Amino acid sequence: MNRLQNQAATGKRISQLDDDPSVMRQVLDLQTQDSQIAQYRKNIASLQTLANSTYNAMSGLQTISARAGEIATLANGARSPQELTAYAIEVNQLIQQGVQLMNSSGQGGHIFGGTQTTQPPFVATTDADGNVTGVTYQGNESVPAAEIAAGAPVSVQTPGANTSGSGPTGLITDSRNGADFFNHLIALQNHLRAGDTASISSADIPALAKDEDNITSQIAQNGLIQSHLSVADSLASTQSLSVKQTISENSDADLAQTLTQLSATQTAYQVALQSGAKLLSQSQSLLNYLT
Amino acid sequence: MLNLGARSLQTQQQGVEVAGHNLANASNPAYSRQRLEIQASTPLSTSIGPVGTGADAVAIRQLRDTLLDQQIQGETSVISFLQSQQTALQYAEAGIGEQLQGAGSTGDVGSPGGLASDLSGLFNAFQDMSTAPSSMTGRQAVISQAQQLTTQFNQLDQRITSINGQLNQSVQTDVGSANQLLSDIAGLNHQIAGAEAGTGAANDLRDLRQQKIESLSQLVNVQVSTDAVGGASLSIGGQLLVSGGTVQDTLETYDSGGGQLLVRTAGAGIPLTPAGGSIAGTIDARDGALKSLHDGLNTLATQIISQVNTAYRAGYDLNGNTGADFFTGTNASDMGVNAALVNDPASLQASGVAGAAGDNQVVLALGQMANAAQAGLGNQTFAQSYNGTITGLGTALASVNTQLDDEQSVQSMLQTQRNSVSGVSVDEEMTNLVMFQRAFQASAHLVSVVDQMLGIVVSLGQ
Repeated sequence: MNRLQNQAATGKRISQLDDDPSVMRQVLDLQTQDSQIAQYRKNIASLQTLANSTYNAMSGLQTISARAGEIATLANGARSPQELTAYAIEVNQLIQQGVQLMNSSGQGGHIFGGTQTTQPPFVATTDADGNVTGVTYQGNESVPAAEIAAGAPVSVQTPGANTSGSGPTGLITDSRNGADFFNHLIALQNHLRAGDTASISSADIPALAKDEDNITSQIAQNGLIQSHLSVADSLASTQSLSVKQTISENSDADLAQTLTQLSATQTAYQVALQSGAKLLSQSQSLLNYLT
Repeated sequence: MLNLGARSLQTQQQGVEVAGHNLANASNPAYSRQRLEIQASTPLSTSIGPVGTGADAVAIRQLRDTLLDQQIQGETSVISFLQSQQTALQYAEAGIGEQLQGAGSTGDVGSPGGLASDLSGLFNAFQDMSTAPSSMTGRQAVISQAQQLTTQFNQLDQRITSINGQLNQSVQTDVGSANQLLSDIAGLNHQIAGAEAGTGAANDLRDLRQQKIESLSQLVNVQVSTDAVGGASLSIGGQLLVSGGTVQDTLETYDSGGGQLLVRTAGAGIPLTPAGGSIAGTIDARDGALKSLHDGLNTLATQIISQVNTAYRAGYDLNGNTGADFFTGTNASDMGVNAALVNDPASLQASGVAGAAGDNQVVLALGQMANAAQAGLGNQTFAQSYNGTITGLGTALASVNTQLDDEQSVQSMLQTQRNSVSGVSVDEEMTNLVMFQRAFQASAHLVSVVDQMLGIVVSLGQ
């Protein structure tokens, strides 16, 4: 009866190791699996936050790139030197904005430096007038991956630059597709300052187009990764539910059945007590009848 | 004829005494009821043929079924064997402390704070850290989980060792009790031989001796054989321990290595492996299920330490150092977390290359280790190995529980049978008492009738 009372109180058919050892083992394994799935979902949530931050920065970069392209197109021979200088100043500011965006940080440090997260990925060198003369990349080309399911590591980061010719595509600079955004912007700035509209249309406009293509394709990839994460998360959620259900089927007590059994056992116990009491109270023995 | 009357009075009086003795012992569980055997006395031959001369009480017989006694003895040994195993395994189960939580639990593995939960917590912490390897929070979480795990291993190991010690202690105590019973039984053999040297059976001493033999059967499985003078010879595993009134040999414990006690004869030093009784049951549980549990735990701890350390040593910490260990110690009893790590979370070697704080290759590999089949654990993961070890104990305990239930129902049937043969029924004894009382009255009346008749004969001569 104790066992039944325990089952009714805890709602579990098996709770101790010896109640049903083989089922217990299965349940423990399932619980471990469930705990892992919960962790993978946490990982996915972290990665989603990171992917979001990455997207925001890339989106800002895209705006800069669009404006730079606009300026490059507008800077034809019909502009006056003052207008060109004004454009140059604007491009300078665009470069600095870009560098700032590229140096954004997430939970684990800078997000565009590859695995080099402790120092800012991009450093701009300026001359005495405050014009940017060069931007150097201090990061590397490897990106960290985290698991979203068993044996499924996923990376959501992009290195700022990749000049090695292999590995993840760099956001600003990549030797394979000719993107080199900051340098092209600096070149544009210099050409504007020098009034060299010919070079702008022959060299800068195509160069900036390559950069814009690169950034757009990176944004598209980010979108794909984010949807991948979201699918993985809902898959994990379904899996977790299914595992929990199996655990419940194996280890939970059917309350209706348990309570019925408990009630029947209690009644039997009461009957035994009562009949015992009757026997004792009516103790018939020979002694009652002798003298 | 007066003589006949006198002897009859004596006989009925003895009958009343026996009935009274039975009644007095009605609630003595070791007592078996006694019967007065009355026989007609030797007839006198006369001219008209043999004439009866009354009755004599020839013996007081005990109603006892020796076959039932032997069976009950055997059952007692078996039940004691199973009960001592059950107790030992229940201690171990309580020591492990893994229970499934009731409805409303939030994804715990086993008991919250238990080893299964800590194991899964550590690898989850590695996974968590892999998403932000340079973050101090993640590092501290890993270190704290690791400490919980090692503490849990240490505590579990300690509990099992202490249960082991308790079991050894109980073997020691039981052997002492068994030796005391051996000398008691030898003493009773001597007394019985003395009391039965004349005629008749020493019923009460025999009852007492049977009780002692049954107590001894609880401790250790004995083979009993009766000798010519009614003494019970006891032997265990073929070694004669009690013969007649002398104790030939006693039991002692000896250390079979590592403080584990086994039993042997004290004189000849021959090791004994009894098949029943609580001594054998305790030893069996200690060297069987408990040892498997302890070994399984130690193997798991050793594997975790070596696998984690191997992967970890290749990593680089935030200051570019490498080569340190994550876990210290060699098995469950001395497992610990590297003190340097505890003091400085930055020294956790998570990166696969020097100088790249965002690199998480080592900590990712550590997180992935949770699902890796370990060759040293029979191609199971760490969690599977632990779950298998503890459910092994659960299986052993469940099996003992079932067997014990079976044996206990057999035992209660045998005892009911024995009670029906040897137990005292108050009603029956009361009836006998009345019968002997009336017979006594009748015999007294016979004496007075004969006396009257003789008085008439004597007064004839006046």
